[in-house]
Amino acid sequence: MEIKQKNQSENPIENYSQKIFLLGSVLVSFGILQVTVGGSWDITNHLLNKPETFFSTPHAVMYSGVAISLIGVAISFFGYRNLQNFKNIFSLPLRIKFLGITLLIGAGPFDFIWHLNFGLDGLLSPPHLTLITGMLFCSMGGMFGISRFLKLKSSNIALSPYLLILGILPVWLAGSGIISSLSLPFSNTDYFQLNPDPLMAFIVATTLYPFLISFCSLTASRISNFKPGIVTILGGLFLLIYGLTAISPNFSLLEAALFYSLNLIPFVISDLILSFGKSKRFSLCAGGILGSVFYMVYFPYVMYTYNEVLLGKLVSPSMILHTYFEILPQVLQLTIIPAIIMGIVGVFAANKFSSKILMK
Amino acid sequence: MKKLIVIGIMVISLSAYFALTVLVLPEKFLAQEQLVPIPYLEVELSKIEIDLGQSFILSTISENIGDYGDIHIVSAAFPTVQNIENNVKIVSYDFSNSPNYINYEDKIGANYSGGLESVLAQYPSIEAMNRPVYPGIKYVMDLQITPEEAGVFAVYLKAINIPHTSSSSHFPQSGQLDHQGEHVLVYTVNVNP
Repeated sequence: MEIKQKNQSENPIENYSQKIFLLGSVLVSFGILQVTVGGSWDITNHLLNKPETFFSTPHAVMYSGVAISLIGVAISFFGYRNLQNFKNIFSLPLRIKFLGITLLIGAGPFDFIWHLNFGLDGLLSPPHLTLITGMLFCSMGGMFGISRFLKLKSSNIALSPYLLILGILPVWLAGSGIISSLSLPFSNTDYFQLNPDPLMAFIVATTLYPFLISFCSLTASRISNFKPGIVTILGGLFLLIYGLTAISPNFSLLEAALFYSLNLIPFVISDLILSFGKSKRFSLCAGGILGSVFYMVYFPYVMYTYNEVLLGKLVSPSMILHTYFEILPQVLQLTIIPAIIMGIVGVFAANKFSSKILMK
Repeated sequence: MKKLIVIGIMVISLSAYFALTVLVLPEKFLAQEQLVPIPYLEVELSKIEIDLGQSFILSTISENIGDYGDIHIVSAAFPTVQNIENNVKIVSYDFSNSPNYINYEDKIGANYSGGLESVLAQYPSIEAMNRPVYPGIKYVMDLQITPEEAGVFAVYLKAINIPHTSSSSHFPQSGQLDHQGEHVLVYTVNVNP
């Protein structure tokens, strides 16, 4: 089934309901974006300051994002209920949002109770996993809703590229959160030893990070019909968020700002390659480039995963920069080929996924 | 032709990117000296001799006199007792993290290894922690101590900054070793029966 453009002006209620659904989807995506920003900041906060209570600023940012998403889901439901012709198009996004928001809302009290009983928790605790899974579902629901609306209107909206980026960015950040939880050695506490096995963590990071970068960038490009600039803006915003939440709060990493900002180059180049045409070889080339730079894009914390296998030394926050560059040549030798392959796999996955989103 | 120019620019840009991120900048960062935070600790006893049942105050003032560091720890240990629940009370404390009470036979780090080596505690102690630690800021921990037995009441004190890069990352740098194989200042108070 393909979404076909219809003249909606004849049916104002339908038109209005679709816009309400879009508003709900935008709020869900924005809320999850806020949760992911708070989450990334929270990881940095734990690493630098070792907070001892549930009540911290990053947690406040995260849970206010949950509240915005909840409002977004409610508005989506209101819009969906009044749809007359296109309920089938918007039913999947709504169902995914419901699943996601249920997990998100459940994660709040679960996390609070966990903190009360076990004090400081690790990255991969059951409430955190619930939270991140809920984030991923909600962000996917938001992205599906936004993309399908834009497709329905044949992207005849001035803001459509930005809405699309708003839809995909939280999916990328939430996906990164899940991969980080499964690969970073930040999960052991006095009560639970939940750190992933170093070798498994190595494999997870080496395969899934490059896949995700390529997948999200290529999905954005395909949904926007290879619109130039989309990959650059998406990549730039991802780098900006990571830079602000993972690098700038750490005094000893500030001097790496120039190094990190260079990561915009592969996104610009991939964007240019994709703008050459819709040929698969251009997409594969862009995906391979994007996959190959994952160790730089996920600076600085990805270092902890590889340090576990390569050095096994204790790295306090001010030693991150030195250790990161110390193991960089070795990491690249071991990961560059699988990273390129996974970047290419991401292209195929993005093709399938974008077809599913657009119901082709 | 235009496409070829764009491709040429892209190849050059990508080569420059990899050259900078893999070769040039890493070398620059690795050539830099690592930050060395240096702890300093001053200790003051309100009395050096008391009668059994009386209390004395042990005041500590510590600071980082070196570079920016991640963690500043001040430890006060009590080698002549096995329990401090009733006789040691914190009366003043301005570290960022709550004090950590270490009990007899708890597993603790050793030899300034940051937890990579460990031993079982032979006596109780209190650890005060501040994260991160900027140079020049003073931290205070005052303890009110009421010994429960007559004799010599000893307190071992030390300060450690993390990252622990050399002997200057701990204070004192020499002297008596404690159960963790780490240097301590020793203070004693005579408790008369």
